[in-house]
Amino acid sequence: MIDILSGIQSTAAALDAERTRLDVISENIANANTTRGPDGKPYQRQLVVFESALQQAMNGTQVPTLRVSGIEKDPRPFEMVYEPGNPDADSHGMVAMPNVNVQEEMADMISASRTFDANLAVVKNARDMAMQVLAIGKH
Amino acid sequence: MLPISTIQPLMSAYGITPGEKISPSLPVTPAEQPGTLAPAQPSGDSFSTMLGKMVEEVNGKQISAAQTVNTLQAGGDVSLHQAVIAMEEANVSFQLMVEVRNKLLDAYQQIMQMQV
Amino acid sequence: MLASVLLNIVRKSRMIDALFNQPDYLAAKKALDAVALRQEAIASNIANLETPGYKRVDVAASFNSELQRACAARDPQEIAALKPQLEVDPNAVPVSPDGNTVSLEDELLKMNQNSLANTLETQLVSTDLYRLKMAITGTVS
Repeated sequence: MIDILSGIQSTAAALDAERTRLDVISENIANANTTRGPDGKPYQRQLVVFESALQQAMNGTQVPTLRVSGIEKDPRPFEMVYEPGNPDADSHGMVAMPNVNVQEEMADMISASRTFDANLAVVKNARDMAMQVLAIGKH
Repeated sequence: MLPISTIQPLMSAYGITPGEKISPSLPVTPAEQPGTLAPAQPSGDSFSTMLGKMVEEVNGKQISAAQTVNTLQAGGDVSLHQAVIAMEEANVSFQLMVEVRNKLLDAYQQIMQMQV
Repeated sequence: MLASVLLNIVRKSRMIDALFNQPDYLAAKKALDAVALRQEAIASNIANLETPGYKRVDVAASFNSELQRACAARDPQEIAALKPQLEVDPNAVPVSPDGNTVSLEDELLKMNQNSLANTLETQLVSTDLYRLKMAITGTVS
């Protein structure tokens, strides 16, 4: 298959990975207060696990590329909050809140967005350069 | 490619026998400057040798350009600019050959129109 | 007749090759090779912006000086023999605790410079080819 924009395979993988990360972050934020999910338990924070694979660069050297290897549940314990009026409170009046720290998620989201936008800029730049190359010899 | 019909009458006019095998050991005269033609010589070998070599070179360039593009299309280890430049160089070479052919034809026609 | 000519002649002649064997033209083509390789390096660096321990790569710094030297020597064979290589940047410093040496602002700056270099070299190559066409056809098309 023709590969006009050569050398940006790692970019495609990174865009994919960051997109997945942003999706997971928005789900975490949306469920930051879900004390009872479909399984009856509080929402457990999800996190994306990356792996680094090697890819062939143009002149034969190997360059690492980022890939999503899976989405896992964060094993950190739920935070217990004293809220006796809550229908999900236990016998002591404590409610188990999802282990989502919204500030942490926001910081993550900013860095994921930044990486996503940067990789998008790489694709656009590669395309602009290819257009110039295709114009060689035309007058 | 270069039409044989224009080369053969021209070469006959210069006393060159068409169809003779061209030996690679014959020197190309004069020094190999791009674009200059060897002056017509009664012996004729250098002229047809030069033409044959030019045709062969141009053909080689076309083939290698086509191969480069094919490798690019198959996703091989060729970058876009290498393919584009190879095609342009093949085009320029071909243009050179066409111009040489045109000039030869003009010269031939001028000669044929001379009053003897 | 032409077929036998093509079969009989070993490719030793240089007539057409001499057209394209000019040092400046060859140097521009080599520079384009380096530009394409650099683009790959920068793409890899930005893709691995957050990979722990990733060390940024770039075209070997020696390539520029080698190309300049070969150009000054006006030696087509020396220029044609050059080959730009990727290497781990020895001057990069870690920007995060996990050892990642990619600074986004730096990479974006280099990407812009590379883009301009691409514009320059493609125009040089284009102009050379255009001049050849003009010389061949005798017309300014």
